Amino acid sequence: MSSISALANVHLKGQFGDYDGKNENSILKISEVKNLLIIQIVQYKNSKVSLESIKIDGLKLKDEPLSVSNNNETRILWNGPNNWLFVSLKKDLKKDIFNNFKETDFAITDLSHSRAIIEIEGKEVKEVLKKGCPFNFNNLEKNNSINSNYNGIAFTVDMLNNNPDKVRLFTLRSFGESLYHSITDASLEFGYKSF
Amino acid sequence: MLYIKCPHCGMRSQNEFSYGGDATVKRPELGKEVSDQEWDDFVYNRKSLRGKHWELWQHLFGCRQWIKVERDTATHEIFKTLKANQEISK
Repeated sequence: MSSISALANVHLKGQFGDYDGKNENSILKISEVKNLLIIQIVQYKNSKVSLESIKIDGLKLKDEPLSVSNNNETRILWNGPNNWLFVSLKKDLKKDIFNNFKETDFAITDLSHSRAIIEIEGKEVKEVLKKGCPFNFNNLEKNNSINSNYNGIAFTVDMLNNNPDKVRLFTLRSFGESLYHSITDASLEFGYKSF
Repeated sequence: MLYIKCPHCGMRSQNEFSYGGDATVKRPELGKEVSDQEWDDFVYNRKSLRGKHWELWQHLFGCRQWIKVERDTATHEIFKTLKANQEISK
């Protein structure tokens, strides 16, 4: 069975909004990200396992707000106290995670097929996010992540880069099309290219 | 717009939170004989105070943790926030 991406029905390729007369590199770039391994890791309250001893793909689980442990292919987002979102291009890490985390200490859930992911790049990214989200994005730096809402839709923002700004937005798969419409509507003012 | 300092995430907009009621209500001791009046007080009866009040809030769109917030019900000023397992100092 072939899999259908979360945004397959709405994600159109081309240039939209106020892009006329602007350099292609100065407008926003919007794309759908597919085929990521996404796993939620939650440590139970009564667990006494030290996080210091745990490494996945060479990365530690940091219990600090906003923090993202990362390398080129994997990112571990802080979601809340003892709660992380593991995102990776390496699909084969799934087995390692399920084998290495004891069931008595951690709840491991594969969310790979239950999220829609939108990636936006460009210098106006924060302006687009500010239009629908109450978070103060001036404080969001490279390799930070937050959970918040965009026009009432719960979403996670992962700041991949800051020169130019590049973010990955995660939302529940069933909210993906609504979030995509909100984000692209907010991007029209600046002009965007979707690919 | 109100801002609430989540003890886990930091300063966030009130839009991300959900109100959860009076934080000072204590459940009757487990195993103890409880009168109808005590049970009613625990489940239903609440004071509608004017002024400083400890409340439960959930950071629903953020870390999803329950927190305690000391808020003035008349002015909405927020004085202090605590994690759910921290005791309110009197």
